[in-house]
Amino acid sequence: MFRRTISHIFTKPATTKYPFVKPKLPEDFRGETQYQVNACNVIELGSTDSLTLDVRSIVGVNCSVCVRDCPAKAIEIVEVDGKRRPQFNFDRCVFCYQCVESCPRKAITSSGLYELATTDKKSLIKKPNPNATEDTK
Amino acid sequence: MSNSKIDIVSIVESKLKDKVQIQLGQLGNAAVNTSNGLHRDVVKVMLEADEKTAIVAITGLDLGANLGLLYHLRTSNAFITIRAEVPKDNPKIQTIVDLIPGAAFSELEVADLLGVVFEGNPSSGHFLLSEQWPEGIFPLRKDVKANEVKLNPPPPEGARTPEIGRQVKIIIGPQHPALLEPEKFAVTVDGEIVTKVEPRLGYVHRGIEKASESRTYLQDVYLVERICGICNACHAYGFVGTVEKILKTDVPPRAKYLRVVTLELNRLHSHLLTLGHAGLEIGYETLFQYFWRDREPIMDLIELTSGNRVYSSLMTVGGVRRDIRDTDIPRIKTTLEELRKKLPFYRQIYTNEASIKARMQNVGVLSRSDAIKLGMVGPVARASGYDIDVRKDEPYEAYGEIPFKEIVYTEGDTWARMNVRMDEVEESINIIDYALDHLPTGPFRIDAPRNVPIGEAVCRLEAPRGELFYYIKSNGTANPDRVKVRTPTFANLPSFLKTAIGESIADVPPNFVSLDPCFSCTDR
Repeated sequence: MFRRTISHIFTKPATTKYPFVKPKLPEDFRGETQYQVNACNVIELGSTDSLTLDVRSIVGVNCSVCVRDCPAKAIEIVEVDGKRRPQFNFDRCVFCYQCVESCPRKAITSSGLYELATTDKKSLIKKPNPNATEDTK
Repeated sequence: MSNSKIDIVSIVESKLKDKVQIQLGQLGNAAVNTSNGLHRDVVKVMLEADEKTAIVAITGLDLGANLGLLYHLRTSNAFITIRAEVPKDNPKIQTIVDLIPGAAFSELEVADLLGVVFEGNPSSGHFLLSEQWPEGIFPLRKDVKANEVKLNPPPPEGARTPEIGRQVKIIIGPQHPALLEPEKFAVTVDGEIVTKVEPRLGYVHRGIEKASESRTYLQDVYLVERICGICNACHAYGFVGTVEKILKTDVPPRAKYLRVVTLELNRLHSHLLTLGHAGLEIGYETLFQYFWRDREPIMDLIELTSGNRVYSSLMTVGGVRRDIRDTDIPRIKTTLEELRKKLPFYRQIYTNEASIKARMQNVGVLSRSDAIKLGMVGPVARASGYDIDVRKDEPYEAYGEIPFKEIVYTEGDTWARMNVRMDEVEESINIIDYALDHLPTGPFRIDAPRNVPIGEAVCRLEAPRGELFYYIKSNGTANPDRVKVRTPTFANLPSFLKTAIGESIADVPPNFVSLDPCFSCTDR
């Protein structure tokens, strides 16, 4: 034990200097999910351009598979400017990525973001951006 | 006697031929249907035929007009379930505690959650439920809506009656520096010597068994995974393994190997955690720091293979959710090799270091016969010479194809229990190495139906702390009808209650930590 202790004086520390040095994450780390509005098949109410959408969309029901499968009930469909979009409540999310797996359109993707700690729980509710029809952020 | 093959099913059949019905292949090797208190006779016949007969769990079911009871018993080579029923308006049944003392906790749990009265094992107050839970409402009955129950007001902070005489009661928990999780143990001491230990469980009872009845099978995998943070992959496997048995799905070979890798990584980090934590409990903090430092690379491997360092969320019905990348395999192997090189140093500390020997040897000695009687599982049982390991006894997934040693010590003390884990760390590294070398090609998951047909099944697996047991009853809808979990700590707690008596109060922490207790598991 004594020899082991002495040898530690000359070895690299086991700890890293977070937050100054960020850890290298594996490429498919399960961080905050990203929602791609273009890929999703939620219907925009009042939209007539539904030729590319599937049958459920034409009758005005979005698929909501993510809402149905979420074990933490962290996803809900909200209406923003007359458009029905999923809202991700990261305060309830358990980062299991079942929604990523379930989404038939691959509209939910991974991001490497893991620094979600906050003092305001409400800031973790990601309201869908009503203007984000074209850009995919 | 224990080594020769005992055909327990035919023994029960010949001795109780006209009294019981036997269904082969159901709920383990066979399900025995009994009525009118004959369950005791079946237990007696089994105990006579096989000295290793031990209780695994008692599942309570709400069957409408009746309450069902499933006594799950393990013998040296079989798994038997005894069915019994009691009417709901007069739910009385005779206890089996006089035959198998290890059934005491299981009976108290069923009494608290389903209201079955076990004659001969009286319950005093709540066992798992809160003190504020109203009397006469049993949450696992189908007519009870858990979120509509009105709790009683909290009991007033009355003056505690002091103990008179030489006997002093020391309350450990629910908030105590030595316990990381909340649970209460009232330890009565006479001078320095412990004379009585009274547990009060249920401080982290979240009602997960009830909650899983209102979620889909897919959501339940993630819910049961959160019963315990440390052995999360084991809980997820226990659930999907049981569902796959009802579905009669066979997962692809590659998935079986990937599951073994996940489960063994789980065991590795759990054992390193508890080996270090034991150092903390006896005041050997350097050891704690060393072990936890070396556990960190294992956490990184879990993150690498699953995407998250604690909750792997890899198990799913039909296989695993993500494949292992070929480019990651060398990194896994080098990390494990580095850990293997450090093991001789740790083993030498655990076997020879004077402070470890002084604090752990001959502390909490549990004999082999007591280990069987009380139904011990996992490293606690194996340290007492009771050689049970589900990976060997009833190989699941790829364990039947992977060579590994079953670690058994005969000392039965705290020191032996920690050394079983120490040796198992190396075996786990060997298992992962072998599994990665022999990883079959092909798909890693198959599509499984979301709705499960009517049926019931049991599944056992060797979690880091011991045998973990799952029972699921399906009613053909998207949600399960009943999910029963018997966790290893729940089975192992009676060991502490027995061995602490007669020893010094200073030996309580090392004795207790040698069970690797997990109360989140225990209470569910």
